[in-house]
Amino acid sequence: MSAYESLLTGKPGENMFLLGNEAIARGAIEAGVAVATTYPGTPSSEVGDILYEIGAGAGMKFEFSVNEKVAMESAFAASLAGLKSFVFMKHVGLNVASDVLMSISYTGTRGPMVIMTADDPSMFSSQNEQDNRHYAHFAHVPLIEPSNPQEAKEFLKVAFEISEMESLPVIFRTTTRISHMRGIVTLSAVTTPNLKGRFKKGGRSFVSLPSNAYGFKDELVAKMGRIGAHDFQGILNRSEGDHESRIGIITSGEAYNVTRDVLDKHQINVEVLKLGITNPMPEKTTREFLSRHGKIIVVEEVDPIIESDVRAIADAGFPEVTIHGKMDGTIPMSHETSPNTLEESLAEMLGFNVADRKPFIQGNELPPRPPVLCAGCPHRATYFAVKRAVKMLKLNDPIYSSDIGCYSLGNYEPFSEADIMLEMGSSVGVGTGFTRVTDQRIISFIGDSTFFHSGIPALVNAVNNNSRMLVVIMDNDVTAMTGRQPNPGTPVSLTAGRKKNQSIENIVRSLGIDSVKTVDPYNLKETLGAVMDGLKNEGVSVVIAKRECAILRDNRMRKEGLEVKYHVVTEKCSSCYNCVENFACPALSVSNGKVTIDPVLCDGCGVCAQPYVCPFKAIEVTSIEN
Amino acid sequence: MKTNILLAGVGGQGVITLGLIISQAAIEQGENVVMSEIHGLAQRGGSVTVDVRIGDYHAPIIPDGDVDLTIGMEPLETKRALSRAPTGSRVVMSTEKLVPVSLSIRHEEYPDLLLLAESISENFHLRTIDAVSAARKSGSFKAANIALLGFVVGTGWLDLSLESVRNQIGRIFSKKSLEINLIALESGLEMGKAAQQEFLQHPA
Repeated sequence: MSAYESLLTGKPGENMFLLGNEAIARGAIEAGVAVATTYPGTPSSEVGDILYEIGAGAGMKFEFSVNEKVAMESAFAASLAGLKSFVFMKHVGLNVASDVLMSISYTGTRGPMVIMTADDPSMFSSQNEQDNRHYAHFAHVPLIEPSNPQEAKEFLKVAFEISEMESLPVIFRTTTRISHMRGIVTLSAVTTPNLKGRFKKGGRSFVSLPSNAYGFKDELVAKMGRIGAHDFQGILNRSEGDHESRIGIITSGEAYNVTRDVLDKHQINVEVLKLGITNPMPEKTTREFLSRHGKIIVVEEVDPIIESDVRAIADAGFPEVTIHGKMDGTIPMSHETSPNTLEESLAEMLGFNVADRKPFIQGNELPPRPPVLCAGCPHRATYFAVKRAVKMLKLNDPIYSSDIGCYSLGNYEPFSEADIMLEMGSSVGVGTGFTRVTDQRIISFIGDSTFFHSGIPALVNAVNNNSRMLVVIMDNDVTAMTGRQPNPGTPVSLTAGRKKNQSIENIVRSLGIDSVKTVDPYNLKETLGAVMDGLKNEGVSVVIAKRECAILRDNRMRKEGLEVKYHVVTEKCSSCYNCVENFACPALSVSNGKVTIDPVLCDGCGVCAQPYVCPFKAIEVTSIEN
Repeated sequence: MKTNILLAGVGGQGVITLGLIISQAAIEQGENVVMSEIHGLAQRGGSVTVDVRIGDYHAPIIPDGDVDLTIGMEPLETKRALSRAPTGSRVVMSTEKLVPVSLSIRHEEYPDLLLLAESISENFHLRTIDAVSAARKSGSFKAANIALLGFVVGTGWLDLSLESVRNQIGRIFSKKSLEINLIALESGLEMGKAAQQEFLQHPA
């Protein structure tokens, strides 16, 4: 039975303590979503994990798509066939899918369609904190912002209703704090989805040729105008507190939570307008709110989007009202709404004191614990081998072009094998660009899922330009960093219901690349040889370092009843420290001057026992139990 | 009850599970709870903190300086988390040392545990437990988080009934692992009571 089964079997009225993303998955089931698609990305990933496991049980069709663009196209097709469709991704995923979004807002939808973006203010697991609410303005589509798991579930259903009302895709925006907070959620009834889709021809055209698009734009503006006329009071928007307070606060999402807590802590009673729909701004509600207060503070994450709208409305009708927020510097422009920062921002205006605080320690007083590759991770062995190959070939100043995935942790010591890392697939595209302008050797690292997602066109481009570069494809069978979701290369045995998987080596060879070698990174000698050969080659070379993710291996070995551990034979250890310095597995540490292996952390990969890591053969296998 | 509990440790130690059990036990006692989990870059081995807020709170993040109780699964991570706690607040810490790679690659060793604990107890009310040993005696080192939880309940610093904690452990584990975890809870509980008794007789 799946750990998520209770999200399927939970009865109406039952209370559960749910992660925001769990509540969203339940919301999709309660809404009767017929088709759900995604490409995994933190902080949205759990929604996909859950629907992958229990979606079929709810009668839903679920797809881990090859990338976000394809996911959105796939969901859009379901909508055109009249079905309820849901596509979700992390914020930067919407950049990939934005080409689709900008067209489907114009064509409009048939069956209701919701697009979820999980934004990441403060960048807990992302390259930026872009505020995807801009996309709603950019594409002229409605934007919904929940504040907690209960609202996430309820608002998702409202989002489908709004989509249905005006045949428009609706953006549903969470942030890390909403997706990854837990709260009490009361369940409602589930709806059995209608899976019988049919694309009805005739009537409205969905061909976005210029002549059609010209008319679509006017329709789109009219649709948004009609939605803006609704106040959604008590459904998405509400106001609370003293209607006669001089100061009024307008807020949404997690910023509301932090605002509410700060006001409660200091027992400040001012009116708060909490918005659940922020595009189009509920004009009438906002005007009424402005008419009641002399001073407005807007608290939102991340960019001043509500604030811009409020300022525009104030300029047009309430010149006496002063507006404060990010644009006048009251609230910082960067990062999530931290309770301490907000307290300081509001203290003077709201008339309360903030207690002085002297932290017990400063962050840099303690040895850091940055994220690390797991013990037994095949990527560690690959990075070790590449670094050794570069040293043996005496390559001067090679450029390491890295990519998105667990292997981006190769950026950290002792590997430092990431000079540039931007977005999905960039390792190969940026690497190719360098080959035109410098004679430094280029080594691009890309994972299996990222290769399928957007590495393939870049590799085609590299071949086309006859670039001299080494592309190391680190294939660990799954999309590991987001929680080991299946991708097109994942072995069939690890997927639910797939009939075949696709071979990266065959794809690479089909591009006409001659220097292609698949190796097992656990075999350092073989990997080192392949990397050196690749670096000597004049054109594009590809080394596929193929070995299952260490966590998958753990799960497999546990099932098979196998356990392997290694230990250091202290008498043989010369304390050369090559292993801790250059291999840096978290299971290795130094105690009383000697290297030891933590038997709990050791994954039994045995790479450290190979002479490249331990030239003194001091690391031996401990036990093999069946 | 309005309580802010900060949990700290290393990915893989069961910090999120610990937060989940505490939260659900408080809910069983009729409280509102919000909890935050941050899923960082590393699958295992990175710093992990979980915020549990019991009472009428909305944001899942405890403001710096408002932590009432810090529960640490690992000494360095406990100390790191205490930058967010007010001096004089309560701290319960498991003594399992996990050497960060940032030390190992320089062949440096883990800071002296006694000195580390001393630096904490000079500023906070500290109770420590060797939760891994307690768990191992109960059947598996993996139950260290539950032994620590028993210890916290034993100190009387967490307003949760033993019954609700037991019920919630029963919802998460089953069969053999449930048995082991309940023994670990019990043994941690006794150690917590003893530590509190010891303190009352010989205040530091």
